[in-house]
Amino acid sequence: MQTEKGWQGMIQVTHLSKTYGDVTVLKDISLQVEKGEVISIIGPSGTGKSTFLRCLNLLERPSGGSIRVDGIDLLDKKSDVPRIRQRMNMVFQSFNLFAHLTALENLTTGPVRLLGMDKHQAEQQGMEILKLVGLAEKAHHYPDELSGGQKQRVAIARCLAMQPEIILFDEPTSALDPTMVSEVLAVIRRLAKEGMTMLIVTHEMDFARDVSSRVLYLDQGVIYEEGTPHQIFEDPQKDRTRAFINRIRSFNYCIDGPDYDLYAMNAEIEAFCEKQILPRKSRHNLLLLVEELLQVYGQQLGTAPLELRIAYSEKHSSLEITAEQTGEPYNPLEPAAHDDDLSLKIISGIARTVTYQRLGQTNRVTVALG
Amino acid sequence: MNKMLSYLAALLLLVVLVAVDLTSSGINDTEERWKSFNFTRPCFADAQVMQVKKSVQAVGTSDSPAEWLANKRIGVLLGSVHDTYAIKQYPQATILQYKTPSDLVLAVKSGKVDAAFYTHETLLELLRHDTDLALVGKPLFSVPIGVGFNKRNDTLRTQFGAFLKQIRENGQFNDMVSRWILQGSTQTVPVEGSRANGRLIIGTVSDKGLPFTIVKDNRMIGFDIELAERFAAWLGKEPVFMDMEFGSLIAAASTNKIDTIFSTLMITDERKKQIAFSEPYYELGASVFALKKNVSGPEAGADHSPSAVSSFFKGVVTGFQNNILHEKRYLLILDGLKTTVIISICASLFGTLLGAAVCAMRMSRHPLPSVAARGYIAVLRGIPVLVLLMLIFYVVFASVNISPILVAVIAFGMNFGAYTAEIFRTGIEGIDRGQSEAGISLGFTRTGTFMHIVLPQMVRRILPVYKGEFISLVKMTSIVGYIAVQDLTKAGDIIRSRTFDAFFPLVMVAILYFLISWGLMQALDYLERATDPKCRRRKAGRA
Repeated sequence: MQTEKGWQGMIQVTHLSKTYGDVTVLKDISLQVEKGEVISIIGPSGTGKSTFLRCLNLLERPSGGSIRVDGIDLLDKKSDVPRIRQRMNMVFQSFNLFAHLTALENLTTGPVRLLGMDKHQAEQQGMEILKLVGLAEKAHHYPDELSGGQKQRVAIARCLAMQPEIILFDEPTSALDPTMVSEVLAVIRRLAKEGMTMLIVTHEMDFARDVSSRVLYLDQGVIYEEGTPHQIFEDPQKDRTRAFINRIRSFNYCIDGPDYDLYAMNAEIEAFCEKQILPRKSRHNLLLLVEELLQVYGQQLGTAPLELRIAYSEKHSSLEITAEQTGEPYNPLEPAAHDDDLSLKIISGIARTVTYQRLGQTNRVTVALG
Repeated sequence: MNKMLSYLAALLLLVVLVAVDLTSSGINDTEERWKSFNFTRPCFADAQVMQVKKSVQAVGTSDSPAEWLANKRIGVLLGSVHDTYAIKQYPQATILQYKTPSDLVLAVKSGKVDAAFYTHETLLELLRHDTDLALVGKPLFSVPIGVGFNKRNDTLRTQFGAFLKQIRENGQFNDMVSRWILQGSTQTVPVEGSRANGRLIIGTVSDKGLPFTIVKDNRMIGFDIELAERFAAWLGKEPVFMDMEFGSLIAAASTNKIDTIFSTLMITDERKKQIAFSEPYYELGASVFALKKNVSGPEAGADHSPSAVSSFFKGVVTGFQNNILHEKRYLLILDGLKTTVIISICASLFGTLLGAAVCAMRMSRHPLPSVAARGYIAVLRGIPVLVLLMLIFYVVFASVNISPILVAVIAFGMNFGAYTAEIFRTGIEGIDRGQSEAGISLGFTRTGTFMHIVLPQMVRRILPVYKGEFISLVKMTSIVGYIAVQDLTKAGDIIRSRTFDAFFPLVMVAILYFLISWGLMQALDYLERATDPKCRRRKAGRA
């Protein structure tokens, strides 16, 4: 069944797209997966990571493009899709164990019915695999008697029992208690070490960084950025990737003129802080900084709208205030621009760094905090 | 399209027939008929009234019960000429319509009505054995009875005329009258004859009562039966009796389900519109009967005090003998039981398969089969099974010679299928899609996923509901008597019509239904346990 020769580019996806009615989930995805690769797919929710994975084994029918597995076109009506799926199993977020079968029977039903394996032999193999995932003693338990982590390990074992060449993981730990995540990840790590080809949709960034040979950042229906774990996690090249990796949440507010509504703006900033669960001190400092910064701008606010952006990086627990205004070059941070520099003193007293940049027609002031 | 129209026409015809026959309440003016027939009795009718006076005391203060009845509750047989007569003659009275003669007698005995109309000749037979009842005055009127034929079958009607003329001339007819009606005999005379010319399908009502039709030793006998057998022998045909509900007889003849009706059929104008009658072969008296104590005052009622409690057991023993052992009535019960079980099992098998097919259509992604299945389910669930049964028997298979049992299986199966389809659907939808997806992604085909993963779980989920539906199907089959199938209920009715004992046959039939349901439920319970994985493991653990 496994001929090394034909197995060079295991999966080849070209210009894959998927739409539901008017909604385009996947725009245009091309990907080549080699044998032994462990590919993590990350990205914000709703960007079609799961859909992409489900398209690969035709649980969802793609709207366009082509998928070749071992040179066989999956979308060709003549292809024996069930046979290809036997070699490319899938692990689901919700485990999806067969509720009427014991853990061991979950492992043997496929090999016996699909691979024509002898029942006794299948049970032997099943026990071995259960041992491998540490669940040999639960062999005769039914799924509803197992914990979430145990269920997911049985589900992985069920895939392994089919002796697949590729395993697709669709958010394998998302439905688990935090305490159970590590047991499942450990099993997947082990598979990676043994050279199993895997595609993993995950939100576990540290895990993805450790285990993958390649990371895909999926956003807006395309592979927005891809690279080695180091490239993606330590040095992401694009804004959205960076925002995602650093887990940055931001808040935007536009000030139209000097007579802006300070109290309304403060209320919104408070709400944002509330949402990010910021400590009271940071919240207080943030409000003070914004107020003083606007004080520094003074009459300059009348010349053009000021775009205020507050960004919070969960990863570094740092805050950043950016104020942008188009117009003549103007640096409000220069003491010469003001009669009294009390505000400036307050700002530099609280902030970690304060910088001014001239970008094209725009004046940008960045204040970093914490 | 044409077929649809003809079905529609047949349906309309059926509705009209049933309406006319079941409720025949003065659609036609029947007064003329009473006049014209009242004094045209054959000579032996007088002799027979004389016999009444000798053997049974007709009680009551006056010979005419008319005054006595004026504001009483009167029981009549639904759709009979008595029904029409009573409504017309006693506008002040409350007329209560009953479906079978045995119900009528029970209503009188239990005091649900004060008096009831029934055929004089049958009453004579009844009063020979029952001392609680008495006639009220003389017969009020008489009605000619004849043999019914399909209107287009004039040949058969003429043949019967010739036959009747012949046996009247050679004395055979008088012999029959004297044996059955005058002497109240229940002995049969074997009728020999060639059967070379095919079959004569005869519609009759087995619980009509003596002297016309009764069931004895598990076969029908009586004046009507012997007359029909003699006629068949005269034609050289094999007589085949179809035991039906009285209300279905005329519909059956006019749709050619039966060739002829030998069932003490009173000749009325309404019926003449639907079927053709032979010339009258007898004049039936119509009498009123009531509890003796109600009619004749205190002295008759006094001697009727209840006996000691110990006699209750004696009563049960006699009841058992009368209702079960006597005249081999247990054979009737056994046959009925068999029929009920066969119909239940076959209908549930057919219904389950049909339900599976409808469910598959209902869950189809294509709109056409899905809409068709929805329609099927809505229609079948919206029609009473009895109506469906009659529609299939009298309309769909109107011109096909088909076993009524098969019709029952089809009708109940179709009904069962509509319910099981929905049960299956909820069962399938109750299993999360994830398991199917897991099966598919493991490499099972869609069919394989369904067979190995969805089906075993679905069966276990639906069994409790399915069991309930199945049991109600078993009990629902008790209406097959309408299309001439002799099931358990019908067997009980036949026995009741002979013994006029409500308690024993009804309780026995109830117990038997319970036992059938219970037995079949045990089988399904076993299936439920067998498909429950936890139960399976417990068993394995013990072994």
